Amino acid sequence: MSSRSLKFISGKLGIVLAVVVLLVWSLGPIYWSVVTSLTSPTDLVSATPHFWPTHVTLEHYARLFGSTSMSQGNEVQSVWPQFSAALLNSLITSVVATVLTVVIAAFSAYAFVRLRFPGRDMIFVLVVATLAIPAYTVMIPLYRLMISLKLVDTYLGVSLIYVSAFLPLALWLMRSVYQAMPLSLEEAAWLDGASKVYTLVRIVMPLAAPGLIAAAIITFLNAWGQFLVPLVFSPTLATKPLTVLIPEFVGRNYVDYGLINAAGIVAIIPPVLVVLFLNRFLVSGLMAGATK
Amino acid sequence: MANLTISGLKKNYGIVDVIHGLDLSVQDGEFVSLIGESGCGKSTLLRMIAGLEDISGGTISLNGRVINDVEPKNRDMAMVFQNYALYPHLTVAENMGFSLKLRNVEKAQIKTAVGEVAEMLNLTPYLDRLPRALSGGQRQRVAMGRAIVRRPQVFLFDEPLSNLDAKLRVQMRVEIRALQRRLGTTSIYVTHDQMEAMTMSDRIVILNKGRIEQVGSPLELYDRPANLFVATFIGSPAMNLFEGVVQRHNNGCFVRVADALLPLPSSIEISDHSEVVVGIRPEHFEVANPENGQALSFDLVLVEPTGAETHLYGKVGTQNVTVAVRDRLAQTAPAQIRLVARQNDIHVFRKSDGGRIG
Repeated sequence: MSSRSLKFISGKLGIVLAVVVLLVWSLGPIYWSVVTSLTSPTDLVSATPHFWPTHVTLEHYARLFGSTSMSQGNEVQSVWPQFSAALLNSLITSVVATVLTVVIAAFSAYAFVRLRFPGRDMIFVLVVATLAIPAYTVMIPLYRLMISLKLVDTYLGVSLIYVSAFLPLALWLMRSVYQAMPLSLEEAAWLDGASKVYTLVRIVMPLAAPGLIAAAIITFLNAWGQFLVPLVFSPTLATKPLTVLIPEFVGRNYVDYGLINAAGIVAIIPPVLVVLFLNRFLVSGLMAGATK
Repeated sequence: MANLTISGLKKNYGIVDVIHGLDLSVQDGEFVSLIGESGCGKSTLLRMIAGLEDISGGTISLNGRVINDVEPKNRDMAMVFQNYALYPHLTVAENMGFSLKLRNVEKAQIKTAVGEVAEMLNLTPYLDRLPRALSGGQRQRVAMGRAIVRRPQVFLFDEPLSNLDAKLRVQMRVEIRALQRRLGTTSIYVTHDQMEAMTMSDRIVILNKGRIEQVGSPLELYDRPANLFVATFIGSPAMNLFEGVVQRHNNGCFVRVADALLPLPSSIEISDHSEVVVGIRPEHFEVANPENGQALSFDLVLVEPTGAETHLYGKVGTQNVTVAVRDRLAQTAPAQIRLVARQNDIHVFRKSDGGRIG
């Protein structure tokens, strides 16, 4: 075997190895979670771990979705009322935060790129610099603020906190998207008789769609996964999301691994659907044909 | 009707002045080219007319009305951009009808107007395509069509042909000119290609460092360049220049170039011993009889046949000179030949400021 083909094979091997490590790293926990959610409580504490449960059971899912269910021979109340409320809360806060963030970023980033006003770049740097502030340092002042505004445990309060937290990143992203767009397209629209807002909405934004979609995905995933903020600001089921509810399945005497993992698997589904759906619009090459 | 008048127009970016008090008036239906080297302010001037750049001083008026502070969208001017700037997410028809749609023209009417212009530009088969599915020449036509459909008062062209290949450029040049004649729309055309400016324009404005050097018809600029800048800018290959001192004799004025005395045009009034620059276009030299005592002796270094004419490169004395002759030359380099130029084809400029004499 020549040294060249040896080099080629070892290169391929490296890539394969890297892919395997990456897959195990990211899919391993999900696999573990799926398996746990399908294993009966008694098997969960068995001495010999299995890669696949010997007896597949849906009892954990039944406790999530049924009205009552059997657990270890006893009839127990299911957690569906709490779970469904938290699922809805997660959806509402994430969607509201995503929509607000993307809309605000779409307009304000444009202002930071195309409008001229004093302190433009300074303000932008300051806004983006807030990304460096860890959430826990502002938690207490923010809590006092929200109390006095009577926004604790309201959708508006939680969503606004999300917006303030995720807007800088979306703004940053959209700014570079707009910066990469040729000004002549907008000038052409102005000369054709379009107002600045019309040009932004009908010419610029459709072409910036991949950027807007990316900003939406990032914001939605971030909001969906939030734990610390809702832990403090969503104390009751009025706004409590899944991330805060699911850890509460850990009782004083008993950690309900099956239920926690079943709920976790269900909680993965919405963000996966969102990404799959939006990903279709994340196409490149929208700008092709605009210039020469 | 569109008479465009520019007076005392200034533009500065901070402390850098790019346009210094410029005056120009463009008559209705006229095709005027702005030409100059890159950075001379020609594109800035065009963008100021379009309203895309602020005006630092002076006025631009359209039909007597000052439009300095009128928004671009209300100026009723259409611009063809160097990079076409087509809306990539809209079809050819939508691109062309965009401005009409903004003016709330009925759909049926837009369709008719777009259809007519598409016919004019041979774009009918492509109306439903997106710009990305068109060739460069077709995109250029769409950009033209978008400007034409709305029947603006003024067309502004910002180097519209510079991204096309040479053959297409010549073809589009003819088409644009023919269209403009037909529509009779006042047009301002920015280019750095003097061939485009010469062939298309009613008048040419030559800009240099934010100032107008000369305004005139293409042949005026060629025949009577106002100064050295225009003289060397217009014409290809560029004019040959010889510095010298005027010697007055009984039978006229002469300037010594290398070993010969060049007779200056008889119409020129000039005093003895004036320092001048004499200009002779390469195509105005003729190969002379070797015995001609008044002829310049030219050391031929390179012969470049272009087909229609032959370019000769070499030296007169120590100076590089280019000659263009219509005949096929049997001569091969190196060689020594003698050149003459007709007295009236000789241009004379003051050495001090480059201004034309006579």
